[in-house]
Amino acid sequence: MSGILPRLVRQGLTDLALHPRASIGAVFSLTLITFLVGLFFMTLVTLDRQLGMARVETVFQVYWRPGTDIGRIRSAWAEYLHLPGFVAVKTYTPEQAMAELGARLGRSGASAGQLFPFLPADSALPATALVSLVPQGPDPEKWAKETEAYFRSQPGVARVAGTPVRDEMGRAWKNVSRYVIWPSVAFMTVMLGLTVGNTLRLLVLARAHEIEILQLVGAFNRHIRLPFIVSGAVLGIGGGLFALLLLYILHAQIAEVLNFPPLFLRIHFPPPPMSALLVLAPAATAAISGALAVKG
Amino acid sequence: MLRHNENKMRLPWRATNLVLLRPLPYSLSRMIRVRHLSHSFGQHQALSDVSFSLGKGEFVFLSGPSGAGKTTLLRILHAALPIQRGEAIVADFNLVRLPSASVPLLRRQVGVVFQDFKILPLRTVEENISLPLELRGLSDTHMERRVRAVCIALGLEERLKVKCRDISGGEQQRVAIARALVTNPKVLLADEPTGNLDPALSLRLMELFKQFQTYGATVLFATHSRELMGHYPEAHVMHLESGRITAANWPGAGVAHALRAGALRENFAVPGPGNAR
Ligand SMILES: Nc1ncnc2c1ncn2[C@@H]1O[C@H](COP(=O)(O)OP(=O)(O)O)[C@@H](O)[C@H]1O
Ligand SMILES: [Mg+2]
Repeated sequence: MSGILPRLVRQGLTDLALHPRASIGAVFSLTLITFLVGLFFMTLVTLDRQLGMARVETVFQVYWRPGTDIGRIRSAWAEYLHLPGFVAVKTYTPEQAMAELGARLGRSGASAGQLFPFLPADSALPATALVSLVPQGPDPEKWAKETEAYFRSQPGVARVAGTPVRDEMGRAWKNVSRYVIWPSVAFMTVMLGLTVGNTLRLLVLARAHEIEILQLVGAFNRHIRLPFIVSGAVLGIGGGLFALLLLYILHAQIAEVLNFPPLFLRIHFPPPPMSALLVLAPAATAAISGALAVKG
Repeated sequence: MLRHNENKMRLPWRATNLVLLRPLPYSLSRMIRVRHLSHSFGQHQALSDVSFSLGKGEFVFLSGPSGAGKTTLLRILHAALPIQRGEAIVADFNLVRLPSASVPLLRRQVGVVFQDFKILPLRTVEENISLPLELRGLSDTHMERRVRAVCIALGLEERLKVKCRDISGGEQQRVAIARALVTNPKVLLADEPTGNLDPALSLRLMELFKQFQTYGATVLFATHSRELMGHYPEAHVMHLESGRITAANWPGAGVAHALRAGALRENFAVPGPGNAR
């Protein structure tokens, strides 16, 4: 059984050249589908990066007890500017809060007692600060608890409320992507397999005569299949590489197109494992459908 | 008894074991054994109750007009058609319930020259002829030597590197013959192998087939050419007509009225009643 395997492999290669039209057709449709899948991957990756990298901020609302010394409060506020992960702070002295509230209600210059008759006449609104911070460290929830404790520990602080706003968005995307990405990858792979299978069936049809002859002169089915597996794998790799090349060129053109304020959307090329999948999946499906296209 | 010993020498080891265990079955001394074989395509009965058997090294003409069922019979004998009724054993393979995995093994023992050649037009003469050798995993040098030898015998040595679509019909036919002969098959089924060849070449080819027979191959040679058979008056002839064996000149053919050689020749091999039909 010396040289039969290399011979069959070589035959799988030369057979492609013997049927140029079927082969080119197969590579073409493989490239097309793989390119579409790659485009889909690119969108997913870009979305994933955008939402994953989004500076997830948590907003803490800090209330002081009414009557706390305003100088003390102001120095606490100044301290916030130096917190790690500081993004923004919005502060309200009781008077500011009052003015704001009054403006909202359409009556400025009134005291709390005038606005709300049920309150004691001299009662004031609490001083408030809205602090936006980016979570630090690997565990955002632990960080949120610690930060909240820090705010609460400050003298005069009555209440702290932490609302992780954009964090929710990231987490939601993670959930979605878990349910979306891999099923769609699987779906695309099946699509790829079906199309490649059909194309290879055409190739097999073009070689039906040859297969018949091989069988008549005593070829085992594995001998007949091997060249088709090789042909399929070569077509698959060819189509995958072509698609990757097209995708690369496209990416080079559009990577920075959306990267301007306020979008700052940088388009990302699928990472190496996904790119490898774009070549290996068509190759594997093409090889398998090559084997299946020859019926026993 | 002599025949048994002959066979024992060339049997594959498995069959040899069988011989040691029990008396040699009759079928083993027969390369082709067909009993009550019938085949129909839909309503059309192509073969009806055909029985015959050929021993090792026997040469038999399968004669009969076009449409008699010659091709159908040969196709059944290399498992290209399933057995519908009756039984057939070829080169120790029982074709009734032959597992599909064994079909290639049978075909490696049986060389077939197809009426429609079945060669690959885009491959060269050499590639076509070496195809069955390739499948057997022969080395390149070994393969080349055998292909060259058979091509010289068939007058194809000049055409080895030419693609088969670029050679004449007669040459294509010789390629088909070469591919069947190159493996030294135990059984050779030839379906009108001289149909496209001129008389001189046909006779040269016949010599080749006869040579094969003397090497021990069993040859079943289908032809409708009475002229060709006329050159071999002593050959065994089996005449097929509308799917039935109507005459034969040796006892291996299962016809009730097996004719003497002379009678058969009078009737079929030389211009006779066949002409009138
Ligand atoms: N595949 C087929 N389908 C239907 N009828 C067939 C088929 N092959 C052969 N026949 C019919 O069977 C009969 C015998 O054909 P064949 O064996 O080719 O005869 P021969 O080889 O002696 O000329 C013919 O009548 C032919 O029309
Ligand atoms: Mg015929």
